[in-house]
Amino acid sequence: MLEAAKLKQWDELIGTASPEELIWINGYLSGIVARGARAPEPTTEAAPAVAVKKAHLVFGTETGNARKLAGRLAAAAKKKGISLKLSGLDQYRLTDLPKEDYFFVVISTQGEGEPPLTAKKFYEHIHATQPDLSTLKFSVLALGDTAYPLYCKTGEDVQQRFKALGATEIIPMQKCDVDYDADADTWFEQVAKLLSAPATVSATAPAPAPVAKKASGKKYYEGTIVANINLNDRGSNRETYHIELTTEEPVVYEPGDTIGIVPRNRAAVVDRILALTGADGEQLVTTPKASASIRELLTIHLNICYLMTNTVKKYAALTAQDIPDTRMDLVDLLRIYPVKDATVFTEVLSLLLPVAPRLYSIASSPAAHGENEIHITVAKDRFLAEDEQRFGLCSEFLGDLPTGSTLNFYIHKSRNFKLPAPDKKIIMIGPGTGVAPFRSFLAERDATGAGGENWFFFGEQYFEKDFLYQTEMQAFHQTGVLSRLDLAFSRDQAERRYVQHRMLQQAADLYNWIEQGAHIYVSGVKDPMSKEVEQTLLQIIREQGGKTTEEATAFLEQLRKENRYEKDVY
Amino acid sequence: MKEKNNLSPVERIKTSSDGLRGTLKESLHDQITGAIREDDQSLIKFHGMYQQDDRDRREERSAKKLEWLYSFMIRLRLPGGLITPEQWLGIHHVAGEHSTGVIKITTRQTVQLHGILKSHIKPTIQAFNTLNLDSIAACGDVNRNVMCSAHPGQSAIHEQVFAFADKISTLALPKTRAYYEIWLDEEQIADRKEEDPLYQDRYLPRKFKIAIAIPPNNDVDVFTNDIGLIAVVENNELKGFNIAAGGGLSATHGNAATYPRLASMLGFVDTEEKVLKAVYEIMTIQRDNGNRADRKLARLKYTIDRMGVDGLKEELEKRCGFKLEPARPYTFATRKDQYGWQQNHAGNWFYTVFVENGRVLDEEQLPLKTALYEIAQTGKANFRFTGNQNVILSDVRDEDKPLVDELLEKFGIAGHTERAGALRKNAMACVAFNTCPLALAEAQRYLPSLISKIEPLLEKYNLQEEEITLRMTGCPNGCGRSPAAEIGLIGTAYGEYNLHIGGDRIGERLNTKYKDSQNEEQLLQTLDELFHTYVNERKDSENFGDFAYQKWIQGK
Repeated sequence: MLEAAKLKQWDELIGTASPEELIWINGYLSGIVARGARAPEPTTEAAPAVAVKKAHLVFGTETGNARKLAGRLAAAAKKKGISLKLSGLDQYRLTDLPKEDYFFVVISTQGEGEPPLTAKKFYEHIHATQPDLSTLKFSVLALGDTAYPLYCKTGEDVQQRFKALGATEIIPMQKCDVDYDADADTWFEQVAKLLSAPATVSATAPAPAPVAKKASGKKYYEGTIVANINLNDRGSNRETYHIELTTEEPVVYEPGDTIGIVPRNRAAVVDRILALTGADGEQLVTTPKASASIRELLTIHLNICYLMTNTVKKYAALTAQDIPDTRMDLVDLLRIYPVKDATVFTEVLSLLLPVAPRLYSIASSPAAHGENEIHITVAKDRFLAEDEQRFGLCSEFLGDLPTGSTLNFYIHKSRNFKLPAPDKKIIMIGPGTGVAPFRSFLAERDATGAGGENWFFFGEQYFEKDFLYQTEMQAFHQTGVLSRLDLAFSRDQAERRYVQHRMLQQAADLYNWIEQGAHIYVSGVKDPMSKEVEQTLLQIIREQGGKTTEEATAFLEQLRKENRYEKDVY
Repeated sequence: MKEKNNLSPVERIKTSSDGLRGTLKESLHDQITGAIREDDQSLIKFHGMYQQDDRDRREERSAKKLEWLYSFMIRLRLPGGLITPEQWLGIHHVAGEHSTGVIKITTRQTVQLHGILKSHIKPTIQAFNTLNLDSIAACGDVNRNVMCSAHPGQSAIHEQVFAFADKISTLALPKTRAYYEIWLDEEQIADRKEEDPLYQDRYLPRKFKIAIAIPPNNDVDVFTNDIGLIAVVENNELKGFNIAAGGGLSATHGNAATYPRLASMLGFVDTEEKVLKAVYEIMTIQRDNGNRADRKLARLKYTIDRMGVDGLKEELEKRCGFKLEPARPYTFATRKDQYGWQQNHAGNWFYTVFVENGRVLDEEQLPLKTALYEIAQTGKANFRFTGNQNVILSDVRDEDKPLVDELLEKFGIAGHTERAGALRKNAMACVAFNTCPLALAEAQRYLPSLISKIEPLLEKYNLQEEEITLRMTGCPNGCGRSPAAEIGLIGTAYGEYNLHIGGDRIGERLNTKYKDSQNEEQLLQTLDELFHTYVNERKDSENFGDFAYQKWIQGK
């Protein structure tokens, strides 16, 4: 991958480095990668990093004016090459506030000087709590109506409160009357000027990321669920959960990676097993897999769902019972073919296999969401299909876990499902939960200011109920991060329509993008979605490229070899 | 505020809309949002629709990272409010297939459907079109649905007057084919002449309302309209119309320049031709002189404030080329609907059904929607909507009356209409939450339960038979005509209403604010005190509105 000259330099450096230095280099590079920033020039030691300023534009709206305005300003920023994240205050996670760097608030005032409905929680939060905003740099664009006595009151309140909490107002508040456009533009010019000025990042290089404790084994993190939201609306046939995990220690990952989560067995089932066997849950037992109390073994470490036929056979032998060759849950096995006593049961524990982790595509981006945070998108029907139906009713569904719950997970590095160079075009095809890695891609490219164009094909059943991450996708589209967004909602019309129909409608443009070097990604359900998408791609290559079936297949194979056609399907 | 010559943004949208087309087609095709583009939100009103969203669901949807649940309200253009039973059946099906299912009878004698998703708009309009129904100009800065007295008593005159409502509606229709192209896929003809001498390319500065009343019933609330026509009937013959102008009830909280106003009498004209000419020229005067800078001050009432009633009349006579005669005498005696069966001069029967707040739906105790559907299926009754949000089963022949009667009994409609209390039957509420973007407080969802709490107070003073008019609106824009009621409740914030009293019963005097921002408990307490004083001090048959005016408003 490296040019010969670079490789030589690199080898020289490594060849002369002490083991401690090597560990430091390893962590240093991980830190750079995790931040999505470029490595500094190798010759200039501790040169300032080319850092993108972290800026967030939030809006609180009642009539929709503040939202429209904020959207327009964010799009204007993008055009100037300024990276500015756009969010509604109704979707803003309040605990993020102390971590913000540059923070711009567009907010209207209602009736008797009240905050707009969508900003109510935010408004109450900043007034009821004492977050430390000493590193926050902010400015307020207050919308109001001079016909009312308490003109722009909410904007003033936010300004005053932020100052009281230690934040620095870097641009004076701008108040706007009902014809707000000109005043808003004046304010925004200052914002744009400020953000496009060279970064005054301190000359310290990114801190080395902690090196994984065990170089060989998996590094496990403990994550706390801070948000768990069913993204589908009432009346949907789907339940898709957006789960946000935070960690104490930084997590090293890249967009495209997946996480492995060890599911927990249901407490009720564990209790039932303990009752059936008379075992003491607190008794410490050592099995080939782990040493822990029986309760912990049954809850976290061992698979008790839908045991393998081989395990059942061993159980039959151990308990000297005649049991047909079959698979079943441990709890049923114990109920139908009981163990003699608790002592025998501790031997049974040694027969059980460890719990298999479940893999989920990561939906967050290190650059956009920080290195102490991981988001995933989990569909209940996939859980039902893979866990409940295959493994029985033993393990807990992540979507049912309340906020505050903790989970153990590890990062499973993706080999090829990765973002290409920042200037490359990408085409993302990800219906349903296939959206997850693409939310990560888009957030990453948004936060790092990557210039390559992005095109996303998404599909689900119903537009108004199942458009996962709709407001975020709209914001990406509005600010230009998503240059194209094509949607297929299968049940909104008499004939079923899927992403591949949309691809065919856009065949000419799609092929153009491929010719221009676009990378193609497919994410979501393997069968039939990803197979039909592949057939559709082949059809487009044939028809648009004037190729035979063999040529088209070879063409796609070539893309695959160049890592320009990548799939993350399940 | 704004400079006089600084046009409001909506003016630019109208003139640059290419005959109300704007980018509506592009908005419809936009897959990523259930909303339409901002400018198109102004234009779609001219096509009879409003973009709304379910305000109850905003917070929950936002948490789910979904946009607000946008949908559209569509309002039909039904001059005089009359449809056939076949059309009712069609509306029933469209409502079930494309909207919330509730058919809402409006305060302007038409019906509207709510909750239509963007992708359902075209099928809805296409279905209406096959029923010979349209929604052109049902909203927007144009003449809206023309109202006409619905009371069937003097039918010979009524038929003449109904025809008039149709003629005015047609006269004031925009000339653009945009509606047919956008919603009905009519091919756009590039160089078709679409010149619109009335609306030009700027339309009116604001909405415009016309109603025709036939004394002694003022069921259309004629003076609350921009133009109110009062039929002058002498010896059972239609002699012509008195013309009043400049009514309008909307106001804005905190904006002292805005206020509700009743129309001023201009004079009398005798022939049909002259009436149409006068109506037309009042609209051109408003087109040319109305305030186009501030939409809150754009209705004809403010134009008249500037020109003076005499000034308007002078300009009108100049534009018409004839003089108005002095207004002829007329007397309004009532504004309410005649519930139950009535027979007209020709021997046909009419049954006015009480529809609380105009909402036709099936409820467990009252399957009104099914009842009306089955009655429509007999084909024996036309449907006429009233300005009080009720429906009259019309033109039922003597021999068909038992059949209709049987269905009214079967579904409990007759009993419901008879049993409902006087206050409830004379009450009115606008839509407000959860769909109206302007609402500050509840109206139609709340008024029924509030009335249930006021009724015991009335009973306490033996006032339950009094036909007091009570009207509630969720904001001061007056869709439910709350300023023209004996008791007006005008929303100021969620759960709070300004209490207005002292309006008269027949719609010739507006009410006045008596208490600010009252919650339910305060309202009930105040009303208790008012009723107590009223019952102890009233003279003979003095009604509540007149008593309240003299006691608490006049001279204060």
